[in-house]
Amino acid sequence: MTATLPASRETPPAAPARPRRRRGRAGQRTRTFYLFVGPWIAGFVLLTLFPLGYAFWMSLTNTDGLSPNWSYVGLDNYVKVFQDSQTIASLGRTGIFMLATVPTGVAAGLLMAVLLNRDFRGRAVFRALFYLPAVVPGVAAALTFKIIFDKNAGAANAVVGAAGGEPISWLADPYVRSVLILMMLWGVGGSMIVSLAALQDVPRELLEAAKVDGSGPVHSFFKITLPILSPIIFFQVVTGVIGSLQVFVPSLLLAPVNGAAAVTAVPEGNYFFMVHVYAEYFAKSHFGYASALLWVLFLFVLLVTGVVFKIGNRAVFYGGVDPTEGKQG
Amino acid sequence: MRGSLGTPVSRRGLMQGTALGAAAAAGAGALSACAPSAGGGSGKTTLTIMAPENEFSPEFLKSTEEALDITIKRVEVDPTKLTAMLASGTAPDLVRGLGAVETPYIVGRDLALDLDDYFAQSTLLKADDIDPVNDVWRYDGSVQGKGPRYGMAKDYSQDAMFWYNTALFDAAGVDYPSETEPTTYDAWFDMGREITQKDGDTVSVYGLSAGGLGLFLGLVNMTASAGGSLFSEDLATVDFSSPEGQKALTWYLEYARARIGFSPIEPNADGWDWPPYQTGRLAMSWSGYWFGGAIAAEAELAETSRLAPAPTMGGDRLSPCFGATGYWIPKASKHHDEAWQLFEWFMGGDPAKERAAGGWGMPSLLSLRADLPTGTTAQAQALAAVEAEADYFKVLSFSPYVKVEALDAVLNQYLPDAINEDASAGSLADTLNTDMNALLAEGKELVK
Repeated sequence: MTATLPASRETPPAAPARPRRRRGRAGQRTRTFYLFVGPWIAGFVLLTLFPLGYAFWMSLTNTDGLSPNWSYVGLDNYVKVFQDSQTIASLGRTGIFMLATVPTGVAAGLLMAVLLNRDFRGRAVFRALFYLPAVVPGVAAALTFKIIFDKNAGAANAVVGAAGGEPISWLADPYVRSVLILMMLWGVGGSMIVSLAALQDVPRELLEAAKVDGSGPVHSFFKITLPILSPIIFFQVVTGVIGSLQVFVPSLLLAPVNGAAAVTAVPEGNYFFMVHVYAEYFAKSHFGYASALLWVLFLFVLLVTGVVFKIGNRAVFYGGVDPTEGKQG
Repeated sequence: MRGSLGTPVSRRGLMQGTALGAAAAAGAGALSACAPSAGGGSGKTTLTIMAPENEFSPEFLKSTEEALDITIKRVEVDPTKLTAMLASGTAPDLVRGLGAVETPYIVGRDLALDLDDYFAQSTLLKADDIDPVNDVWRYDGSVQGKGPRYGMAKDYSQDAMFWYNTALFDAAGVDYPSETEPTTYDAWFDMGREITQKDGDTVSVYGLSAGGLGLFLGLVNMTASAGGSLFSEDLATVDFSSPEGQKALTWYLEYARARIGFSPIEPNADGWDWPPYQTGRLAMSWSGYWFGGAIAAEAELAETSRLAPAPTMGGDRLSPCFGATGYWIPKASKHHDEAWQLFEWFMGGDPAKERAAGGWGMPSLLSLRADLPTGTTAQAQALAAVEAEADYFKVLSFSPYVKVEALDAVLNQYLPDAINEDASAGSLADTLNTDMNALLAEGKELVK
């Protein structure tokens, strides 16, 4: 004979089931999370981390990418980085380029945004016109600039000639870098549109209150608008710094030779670090050394970005809070 | 194989690493090249070819696939992609290359397939019909021009010849160069200077563009035409300090300083000679027969353009080829026979006849010369000129240890200052020798 217990006694208490359901929901959410971020993580690991690791390994060899007779050279390639005058010069040039283009670009974009944020007739047209160069493809912009700055038939030298000057070989050293900087600033509409969007978030009541309190437009701009815009400006500076340290294609587009051989003909003024890296890889077949150069650049970008963040922490008003207040307190 | 620290590493392992590193540098695009080339779904062999679209257009690919009963996948010509494909074990089956400067490099690295057996059995590409220029695709391990064939030119030009526009000569009152006898470099320079039209520093007509197919190749040619050689016999060093090398450097420095043509300090905004030549802003272009393909499309220019023999610097007359652009089959291809089938048809079949009729280069087969166009004055004259020039063709060995781009990079690094600062050819030669020989020594270590 088998004793049968009432069903109610066999049923487990309801309370412990709740955490299981919660765990089930949590598990589902976790799975969903990984399902969504999975492709990105896979891409990051396969296309960034893994190649970076291999590039580091390659930087310890003298391989040319094709020959079977390579050998390990230890850290020789990294030592060479600091002994190679061309590398150091190109890094210095890149730093100067960054200092010339990032502050100017951000400031010009902000100035244009402030001007175009005012109420006046035709504002939309001007906004579109100023933004237009930013959407012109880089190749088209470079070709246009090459025509404008052609020594014999370009508009730039027509102006120089009208002013009584001799024609300038703009596309050769030492002038070609100024053409490149101008070409980069020509696309400042991109920065302008970001600043313009941020300006829409500046509370009007704050500006009106300041006006009632007797604050002039310039004072209000520096004391109210600029601090509120500072996170956006900071974002532009950080991305601008990283982008300018890796400038490459515009240099090639302004070179006097077309096609792949352009990298060997970039004038010294525009021979930036990434141009040097590319030439070492694919003109000189120094795969090992070029990989070391990339790692050095990576660390340099990290360092410079770190410095920018350090400065930014003292100057950026996140959520309208003065970054120096906490420290003073 | 074994790395120098004794760690056993397979060649493929190293190559795969190299591929990924290259991808890190050049972006993920390189990885997209690693698609397998074998086995189409239809059961036909799929060949992957690295070729430009203007040589294998979609329509042409389709007709080729039908004619040869294969499937062809074309990838764009890209050294980065080629490195990645070779490294990852998915080598293309046919690759475009410049035979004159690349053959020793690819053979030295054991990348190219020896095609001698295929040539021996070919009915389309017969030994006595192959133009001697194709010897630039031969290399025996120490001398270019001898040994097995590793590829073939789709067409070629003797690149030290030059085109000139008689209308600009007439306007300047300068006598034309001979169509049969080579002019000297000094006379060539004088012609260029007399034709150049300047208003202050603004140039409306350049007399002479001596860019050719690149700075280094130009100097190689000048030195050879002076009776010397930039490369040593073992191709492991260069010597710009030799009397012939000095002569070549001196000529180039004077040419650049005179600003009668394009140079690193007088850049050509158009990037190549055709736009200024087409628009009457350039009287002489250091380009071979192929340039005539562009000229033929301009009725007025086709009447006034002529092709002249390669200038000489005092040595024996010679007229080399620096391109011989064609195709080679990687050793690592998995479809040698099918790749050869395509190679043979492209080089000796209907496509070769069509190319010859286009006039963009001399055909690689002597029998196809009859198909070259002679409809314009320039075409007829150019054909006569190249047929007379053929006797002076000579293979100038290129080094297996570096790419020509590496040597051009060194020249471009030092030439602008040397031109601007009135440096002597001697001091420039010392700098060039040091840097280029260092590159060659590094390369030699990898080709033992």
